[in-house]
Amino acid sequence: MRKLKLLLLGLLCTCQFLWAQTQIKGKVTDSKDGSPLQGVTVSIKNTSLATTTGPDGSFSINASPNAILQFSSVGFQTLEVKAKDNLSVGLVQGDNSLSEVIVVGYGTKLKRELTGSVARVSAKELANTPVTSFENALQGRAAGVFIEQQNGKLGQGIKVRVRGSASVSAGNEPFYVVDGIPLITSDLSSNGATTSPLADINPNDIESVEILKDASASAIYGSRASNGVVLITTKKGKAGKTKIDFGFFTGQQDPTNTVEFLNAEEYVNYFRQGAKGAAKQDFKLGLYPTLQAAMTAESTFVESRLLRYSAGNTDYQTYKVNTNWQDLAFQDAPISQYDLNLSGGNDRTTFYMGGQFLDQKGIIARNSLKRYSGRINLENKVNNWLSVGINLSYVKTENKRVSNDNQFSTPLQIVALSPITPAIDPRTGLTSGALDPATNLPNTNYPVYYNPMLSVEGGMYNTFINRTLGNVFGNISIMKGLGFRTELGMDQLNQNEESYNGRVTKRSSGSTFGTGFNASNQVLSINTNNYFKYNTIIKSVHKVEATAGMSYQNYTNQSSSVSARDFPSDDFKKLASAATNTAYSSSETEYTFLGYFVRANYSLHDKYLLALSGRYDASSRFGKNSRWGFFPAVSAGWILSSEDFLSEVDWLSFLKIKASWGETGNAEIGNFASRGLFSGDASYGGNPGTHPTQIPNPDLKWETTASSDIGLEFSLFKNRVSVEADYYIRKTSDLLLNVPVPGTSGFSTQLRNIGNLENTGYELTLNTTNISGRKFKWTSNVNFSVNKNKVTNLGGQTVGTLNVAKEGEALGVFWAREFAGADPATGDALYYKNTLLANGKLDRSTTNDYNQAVDVVIGNPNPDFIYGFRNDFIYSNFELDVLLQGVQGNEIFAAGGQYMTASGSNGFDNQTRDQLNAWKNPGDITNVPEARLFYPNGVNNSSRYIYDGSYLRVKALTISYTLPSSITSKLKIDRAKFYVRGQNLFTITNYPLWDPEVNADYSATNIVQGRDFYSVPQARTIVFGVNIGL
Amino acid sequence: MKKLIIAAGILVLTGVSCQKKLDVQPAQSIDEKDALKTNSGVLTALNGSYADLGNAALYGGDIFLYNDLLSDAGEIRWNGTYAGLTQIYNKAIPKNNAFVRDTWLQGYKVINDVNNVLSALTVVDASLKDRVEGEAKFIRGSVYFDLVRSFAKAWNDGSPSTNLGVPIVLTPTRSIGEDSKVARNKVSEVYDQVIKDLTEAEAKLPVTNGFYATKYSAAAMLARVYLQKADYTNAAAAANRVITSGKYTLASTFAGVFPASSSSAVPNTSEDIFAMQLTTTSGSNDYYTFYSPNSRGDIDIRPAHLALYETGDARKAFFVTSGGSTYTARHNSRYANVRIIRLAEMYLIRAEANFRLSTSVGDTPLNDLNKVRTRSALPALTSTELTLDRILKDRKLEFAFEGHSLNDIKRLQGTVGTLPWNSPKLILPIPDREIIANSNLVQNEGY
Repeated sequence: MRKLKLLLLGLLCTCQFLWAQTQIKGKVTDSKDGSPLQGVTVSIKNTSLATTTGPDGSFSINASPNAILQFSSVGFQTLEVKAKDNLSVGLVQGDNSLSEVIVVGYGTKLKRELTGSVARVSAKELANTPVTSFENALQGRAAGVFIEQQNGKLGQGIKVRVRGSASVSAGNEPFYVVDGIPLITSDLSSNGATTSPLADINPNDIESVEILKDASASAIYGSRASNGVVLITTKKGKAGKTKIDFGFFTGQQDPTNTVEFLNAEEYVNYFRQGAKGAAKQDFKLGLYPTLQAAMTAESTFVESRLLRYSAGNTDYQTYKVNTNWQDLAFQDAPISQYDLNLSGGNDRTTFYMGGQFLDQKGIIARNSLKRYSGRINLENKVNNWLSVGINLSYVKTENKRVSNDNQFSTPLQIVALSPITPAIDPRTGLTSGALDPATNLPNTNYPVYYNPMLSVEGGMYNTFINRTLGNVFGNISIMKGLGFRTELGMDQLNQNEESYNGRVTKRSSGSTFGTGFNASNQVLSINTNNYFKYNTIIKSVHKVEATAGMSYQNYTNQSSSVSARDFPSDDFKKLASAATNTAYSSSETEYTFLGYFVRANYSLHDKYLLALSGRYDASSRFGKNSRWGFFPAVSAGWILSSEDFLSEVDWLSFLKIKASWGETGNAEIGNFASRGLFSGDASYGGNPGTHPTQIPNPDLKWETTASSDIGLEFSLFKNRVSVEADYYIRKTSDLLLNVPVPGTSGFSTQLRNIGNLENTGYELTLNTTNISGRKFKWTSNVNFSVNKNKVTNLGGQTVGTLNVAKEGEALGVFWAREFAGADPATGDALYYKNTLLANGKLDRSTTNDYNQAVDVVIGNPNPDFIYGFRNDFIYSNFELDVLLQGVQGNEIFAAGGQYMTASGSNGFDNQTRDQLNAWKNPGDITNVPEARLFYPNGVNNSSRYIYDGSYLRVKALTISYTLPSSITSKLKIDRAKFYVRGQNLFTITNYPLWDPEVNADYSATNIVQGRDFYSVPQARTIVFGVNIGL
Repeated sequence: MKKLIIAAGILVLTGVSCQKKLDVQPAQSIDEKDALKTNSGVLTALNGSYADLGNAALYGGDIFLYNDLLSDAGEIRWNGTYAGLTQIYNKAIPKNNAFVRDTWLQGYKVINDVNNVLSALTVVDASLKDRVEGEAKFIRGSVYFDLVRSFAKAWNDGSPSTNLGVPIVLTPTRSIGEDSKVARNKVSEVYDQVIKDLTEAEAKLPVTNGFYATKYSAAAMLARVYLQKADYTNAAAAANRVITSGKYTLASTFAGVFPASSSSAVPNTSEDIFAMQLTTTSGSNDYYTFYSPNSRGDIDIRPAHLALYETGDARKAFFVTSGGSTYTARHNSRYANVRIIRLAEMYLIRAEANFRLSTSVGDTPLNDLNKVRTRSALPALTSTELTLDRILKDRKLEFAFEGHSLNDIKRLQGTVGTLPWNSPKLILPIPDREIIANSNLVQNEGY
């Protein structure tokens, strides 16, 4: 009976709605200061009718007298008011995130109705972050999203993992989409270290970043969604007065940390000690008849070398020269950024224009980046059924780069040089290591290595990028509730790399008269999306939304490169002046994706939510037999707080439970990975050649990830406390795996669909308004994520060395010998054998023979958990915003330890100061083996170089002051804000080297994680800034 | 309705037209099915085999460099930063040594390259067929010879018919299956294959062939193989065939063996029987990389070595010093070809074999040795001065830092410091990755 009443009532309402509408006018203001609010969405509840407020806050809408009006705007709490004319509404500022509109694939969704898992980071959090690439600004701000920058070089690769790594051999980076355009994310760097193509985006153009985490949210992107999808939405104009915003900040960057090395006296004594250690080994090997003879020979040798490294004089004997090389590798690093944005429009046309200039020097010598960007987003209503628009951005980036971490010419490898070596060679008055090109004097083997400062003086490696990203679109309103959107987008990236190494770099470049290099990449990605959108509300209780359409992308990359040498002088840096070609290449590659997708959302009584989606996807990357794949997802939610039985519970503002399941794919493999190939890159003696390079696998298909997610969202005490919690299981099967095959076949790996891995984890996000007074407001945000990665099946293989993919372990665990310190009797490095005894137990005895011990898991580069903790204090016109970010439970392998913490095994590399604790006499108990010049003593891969990589850092701290309106009105400006901001201000960690946020750039892969190899530390940045609005 | 038709039309037409774009062809590679269909396809694949042979890990120098490092006991000092080579120098090689792994993989890559060529001989023009087959077999025989010497016990170490050699693969790989898990053949089986390949190569190859393998490259390699087996009769005969061909002459000076040019490729000398070619844009010379002070300069020559030369020996002068260290001058040219076999070796093989057999195939041992000695400005020996040790010493000095020393120590049953010639430490481990990928492989003793 009650249902019947409801139905009748609903029917009645509908009738009234249809027949008895009147125009309601009103005005919306900010309850705080009564200022008019523009752009507030005014909608009639349970209908799709809506309008927005004008510049003066006014609106008008046709509504029946009893209708409920909803007022919503980002940053304000949603308000529901019964319709009446001359309505005056004051909105309260607040973070009622449930009213937020979330961007999802091919559409938007109210957060309240969301059944998938989506993390959103808004413009306010991204604004004015003094970083090169916007992913950096996301760090610590979204649960389930682990972001790690390889090192402190500008524009370098950044690892982003959404809910863990889902693949061993295929890509693990999320799929990036900007305003519907798939972003080119291929690494185009030629110097062995990856760059981030995302550094070409102006972070201040971004309105919001949505990270689609579970399959329900991401499966509409089908074969490319396994690693999560990052949707970037750029700013749009709103009708009303044109707003002009000017922003500027400037400041300084410096390294987060430096490392202590031996000083001159310690260095000399250490290597004299090392000579004694070496002599004992010489004698043992029978190289000299007596120990004394060996001692004499080694001592003579070490003194001759010290003499050499002391620029050929005996200053080293008095430790007169004590060079701190590390200081030279770093430079003064100012950063400035200028922004100018305009936005506005009228009821037919809206626009946003943004321009930015970023001028940044890297903390490492020779590194700098300049980025010029401009964007225009325009939309025009042609008539009552058609609107068209364009989003277009142009970016020019100039990145002056340094060599990858594994090159002698990379500045931080300077720490290997001896402190007894003067920075300026007194024999020549030139930088130590600079040679007379004709005579090679003073000598080619001074200092101990190539001095990277010579590459700072006489070398360059500049990357120039011109990038145009944009689309044109049309929205057709076909009939009530049914619309169609067509988009044609492109991402055009032209990159030119130019390098020159002048005469002083001879020891590194190998050429007396200079070397040059030039490479170009012309990348074009064209895509189109065409889809219908439908929404309707049936009988007031059944809300239905549907999206269906197709998407296509074509990517081509044409690249060429030339290396040459022998230039008339260092004034000629272009290859036109080079005498000899040394390498040349041109190549082309292409891939295509075609997909059809559909999504339907259903909501009953605004309480029971159901969403279904599916995508049928194909790619040129896969063999004809398995070209198409289907990726479904289903999810459901229940808003319990809307139930009658909870309506009386005052303290509970909102409660929703949700669950989802779906399948997504991963197609990030080589463009022609399924074929058996002969390549033409095998010329010999000036004649062309071919050779087999790839073994075919005609059965190659998608990697599939099945994800399940259950979640809970609730808010308490009038939304002062809101919580989101998610638990997920992601199981990846048919792993695209480069399986090691017997090398006797002529191949080393074959790409196959073998194996499984899984990620399980939970995420917790807590938002609280701790104090909300008239003058003082304090809000907090905590996000906490745990992800456990486990490789469950690799067909019995172990992939990789040191970092491995191994069954039963997390991807990339460190797999090596377990170090057991120095033998008290001999000073030999010892290892735990860890072999299996007959009784099934591990043999925990030690051995000095590396080959007698076996590899075990000695660490895990994946963190146990990550977290962010943000506090925002507002007092009057002051605001203090602090973000703490942490990573816990991961290990780092200090691969450079094999040179710098190496018992002198590698020769005359300067050593970290812990080597002073080396074993010296029988009976010494120490973890540092005996110093033995040029004799490896414990430098093979082992847990000797494993360190805890956990850290907690003050990621961002901003203190700002906003001028009160009494002053701004006198100055005839809208707003003015001054701030000081610190990035990476302070780090708490036990990691003994530079910075625990690290992964050596030349070796980083899915599996190779958490290695440090002379990697430039992260930058600590302090800037002063101003934002002025007109 | 019209709008709906327009919208649906856009969607369907785009989808249908894009469907065709799913077939994308590679631009730098061709399908293996198409690679060996034509005469020119096979010829370029043969040339590609040489490129792979000349890879740094193999005949680009590394496999020879390992011999120099492993055989040293105080004549050189390795002070480079490549941990993998430090391990080899210290005779403490972990099974996962990356250099060793790469050499193994590269060896079998070349073998698969030439197996592909050999599988497609039917499409080769009749006039070229013998040459193509000969070159492919020369490469295969040479690679197996160096693999078996590096990864298995020496021929004279126990019984070669029971000692494990390396797996023999003679067909191209088209797919990976259980049959890809090949087991190690015996040392003698590998030597038999080597001799078979090289003998057939010698029979098929032309007497001149540019810088590619010739009839005499194969004969010279055979001489080396027979010497390693202590089959002096065949060694002398093979060396004699090369010398008497008259195609090669000793360089007039020792320095002439190593023509210097810092900036451009250098053609073979009259003495080179086979050398891997470098151009400024292709090929690798890791001798240069590691020995030359113009490059990394990772190998110092110690006084103990310099003391071995007689006064006046041109080879004694063939060193350079820099910053108090001495380096060999043999590998100072960046684009120098990697010398694999030169005529002097044939004279010394013939001399040694004849001396041991008390024969004079081709010429007397004394004449042969003196040819090599006098070229280096040394006085000719008299017949009374001639001993086996003199021949072996000149052989050591003539080919110092050219990758011969380890195999001579093994052949002559010498020592490396305190290690005996047959120490397992002087044999490379089967790479760990290979044992893991192929359960049928047995690891070497001591690893």
